[in-house]
Amino acid sequence: MQWLKDLFTRGRHYRDLAVSIEEHLEERTEELMDEGMSREAAETVARREFGNVTLIQERSREVWQWPTLESIWADKRFALRQLIRAPGFTATAVLTLSLGIAVNATMFSMVSAFLLPHLPGRNPQNVVVVSSVSPHQRDANPVSPPNYLAWREDTRLFSEMAAADESRTASLTGDGEPETVRYATVSPNYFEVFGVSAALGRTFRAGEDEPGRDHVLILSHALWERRFGAERSAIGRTVRVNRENYVVVGVMPADFQLLGFAPQMWTPLVFSAANRTVEGRKQRFLFLFARLAHGITLQRAQAEMAVLAKHSETDFPAMESRWSAAVRTLGDFLIHSFGIRTALAVLMTAVSFVLLIACANVAGLLLTRAAGRRKELAIRVSLGASRVRVVRQLVTEGLVIAILGGGTGLLLTDIGIKILRANLSFNEAISAVPVSLDVNVLLFVLVVSLISATLSSLVPALKASHTDTNTGLKNESRTSSAGRSQGRLRTALVCGEIAFGLCLLIGTSLLIRGVFLLDHQKLGFSTDHLLTAAVALDRAQYSDGSHQLLFVRGLIRKLQQIPGAGDTAVASDLPATNPETVPIHIEGEADSRAGEQYSALDTVVSPGYFHAIRLPPLRGRTFRETDGENAPRVVLVNQEFANRYFQGRDPLGKRIQLDLQGAALPWGEIVGVVSNVKSYSEDARVDPEVYECFLQRPTAYFSILLRASAEPDSLSSALRHAVSQLDPELPLARVMSMQTVIERQRNGNPLFIRLLGTFGLLALVLAATGIYGLIAYSVSQRTHEIGIRVALGANRSDVLRMILSEGFRTAVIGSAIGLAMALPLPKLFDAIFAGLHFGAPEIYLIVLSAVLVVTAFAAYIPARRATYIDPTLALRDQ
Amino acid sequence: MAKDPGQRDLFAGALELMILHSLRLKPMHGYALVKHIKQVSDNLLQIEEGSLYPALQRMLKEGLLESKAGISAKGRPTRIYRLTAAGKRRLDREVSSFDRMLAGITRVLAVTEA
Repeated sequence: MQWLKDLFTRGRHYRDLAVSIEEHLEERTEELMDEGMSREAAETVARREFGNVTLIQERSREVWQWPTLESIWADKRFALRQLIRAPGFTATAVLTLSLGIAVNATMFSMVSAFLLPHLPGRNPQNVVVVSSVSPHQRDANPVSPPNYLAWREDTRLFSEMAAADESRTASLTGDGEPETVRYATVSPNYFEVFGVSAALGRTFRAGEDEPGRDHVLILSHALWERRFGAERSAIGRTVRVNRENYVVVGVMPADFQLLGFAPQMWTPLVFSAANRTVEGRKQRFLFLFARLAHGITLQRAQAEMAVLAKHSETDFPAMESRWSAAVRTLGDFLIHSFGIRTALAVLMTAVSFVLLIACANVAGLLLTRAAGRRKELAIRVSLGASRVRVVRQLVTEGLVIAILGGGTGLLLTDIGIKILRANLSFNEAISAVPVSLDVNVLLFVLVVSLISATLSSLVPALKASHTDTNTGLKNESRTSSAGRSQGRLRTALVCGEIAFGLCLLIGTSLLIRGVFLLDHQKLGFSTDHLLTAAVALDRAQYSDGSHQLLFVRGLIRKLQQIPGAGDTAVASDLPATNPETVPIHIEGEADSRAGEQYSALDTVVSPGYFHAIRLPPLRGRTFRETDGENAPRVVLVNQEFANRYFQGRDPLGKRIQLDLQGAALPWGEIVGVVSNVKSYSEDARVDPEVYECFLQRPTAYFSILLRASAEPDSLSSALRHAVSQLDPELPLARVMSMQTVIERQRNGNPLFIRLLGTFGLLALVLAATGIYGLIAYSVSQRTHEIGIRVALGANRSDVLRMILSEGFRTAVIGSAIGLAMALPLPKLFDAIFAGLHFGAPEIYLIVLSAVLVVTAFAAYIPARRATYIDPTLALRDQ
Repeated sequence: MAKDPGQRDLFAGALELMILHSLRLKPMHGYALVKHIKQVSDNLLQIEEGSLYPALQRMLKEGLLESKAGISAKGRPTRIYRLTAAGKRRLDREVSSFDRMLAGITRVLAVTEA
């Protein structure tokens, strides 16, 4: 603890030292005076003999210090004092940097949550996911039951392997409102793969995947809290799932969550006989979670799984042709299946540009200050301060600014993350992801602050340390305008700011335009005043088509009695929500043209559908109540279908056949053509589409469409009531207006646009203030010169032109660099974001002019001020 | 601060040795120490203040010296440095090692002469 004692006693040592040295000098002086010198001469000689008092004192004191650390500390204190003395400068620099750091850290919180996801369980790095690779190389596809069963037997790669069907929905009834919940059916050993046990009760036991023993249920923590009031007595209770009794055996812990998958409960996965047949190979719906056996590497697992997939391909060429298998680590798989990586990469690039501009601003400010302090630095160098010491002092100043900026930035980040979270609720999977100011974000802020400090202070510091002592002391502003190299560096900074700002703005504008056009495209039908809801008729109550049809007829009758309800219909898929694509045959024609198999989107609708969504027939008729089970089978096609497959010939009266998963439906006659509806609201594509009549082919899964005379949401309780009167145990899912459906399909797009827009604007504002600051400073440095020019007869417009042309020259160079950087952007974006259009050369022109106008304005204010320089005052100054 | 060409650089540890020895004779303040060494060595050795004060601090820190408030020859307040017990032990050790070194050097020089 000697160092601690030193720390407290060294003040005394410092004083002792000062007293000793003073007495030393004093005694020597007196001695010299005794030899006959005058007091003044004696003092001078004594001091000269002694040497640099301050330096010797400093050296002596260093004995008591940790030299480097302490001199940095002293530098820091000095820097703080300097900064406090220039509050305007400090505030600008800190605020600029904190904005840059905050936007970066806020975006990074998403990176941390989505790309560095929390993985549950024990040694999650050993958990892998086996998925299918389709012939089109779209990997991360689910696996079929026969493949799962075969692979589980054939490989020793994994110590444990489980299958899960992660995306099922069930009706949960008994104890309150019936509701639809997302759930997963899993092999009994599913939880063992992850190495998690139940928070309450137990997980599944071996053998509970056999029919008869499989009516056991595990609740997610969230569902247990919401529906069972977090009561321990929930264990052992019987609940009704799809009208069958299940016993609750366990509750999982709250942190058992896989990014993007949000099942609210789990039941055992039971394979039917059909699942095990060859036909079952077509039904790919399982993800395989497995734990690597001891000593097995990921590479080895990948290689061996590819071999196993090859075996399946040889054994079942009809089903498995060109299908393969992939193995990924759990984290990798989750990130991959979430598909948010590219959007995050774009956002992170955008914010890093913002940070670069912020750093350039701070560098400019420091440069400006360093130029103002040239004399001070020259004095310090001439008094014996080493260059390293001067650089360190200036870098410390940058560091202090960066740390203050980082601290303020952290506060702003906290606010930013709160705003972000409020906007990250557009779907269940996203809102289940915990975006927060976690350790990763804190580390990120620290690192970014340090990088910013280095970026923004090193160049000005090196520059300043090269101050030549002689010229530095001589170089009064009376004799010079700003030093040449300082001016060059400043120009480079402004150029850089303009280049990065321009590139960022063009990029964001292109993206915003692309996404905006897509979000505001005409879908082809009327979305307003439509209430929708999803229904899934279960097998238990509605075993076949006639029961389903009976229910729908009753439902439509009931719905029409709701006051304020207009047209009512049901449809297998809501419009513009990506219905299934099926192969089709046209009577009397080959099934393909130029190698392309005929196919069309398939939607089953009730007769009232077209009127309800305001989609009038272009030719022929729509469905009627008389198009029932026993009537001749009829279909409708859309305009695109008629154009693509009939090419000018009349489609009416032609017969087509739909091929549903190998089972062909009867031929149907085309009785009408309706106008196009976009296949998916977030895609500009229009595909050929076939409409079937619900009366002729009822389905168990469908959506209700209800046209309301008022706000559609006002009818939702009446809708629920009507359905519960027909079947009290039938849950209604996704009761929402059609506009909400479309909005949900936009996913993160609006947020993406808002974020990009904010960053673009922030970059522009930062760049503008930076440019303004640097030009204003250059004008203030040249006050003297301008004064001389005016005194010699230059008029105001000459001065204005001179300053503006300097700014303009810089702007042109910066813009040229920025444009060159932005040129490959559309190509890049096309590769990243399929389905968006980025071909918009006018954007370049618009953004360029906007940037030039802002730059001109930023230069104009100081330039105008320069024209008011009074030569007499300017020359008398200093 | 120009050096008298007649003087030579001290070897490492020499300054410490001289300080310890001088202070063993009697406690002194800084300037007195400089003068003492100068006088005793007949102006052959001159201590640079640039090294004296840091060396004093170093020895203080190591506990070889202690300092306390005192009065200078001229009656002004100053700090008097005094050897501690540890300082005395160090001096003895240094002196014997210096003697050995000197003996060694002398022998080597003697061989060259012969």
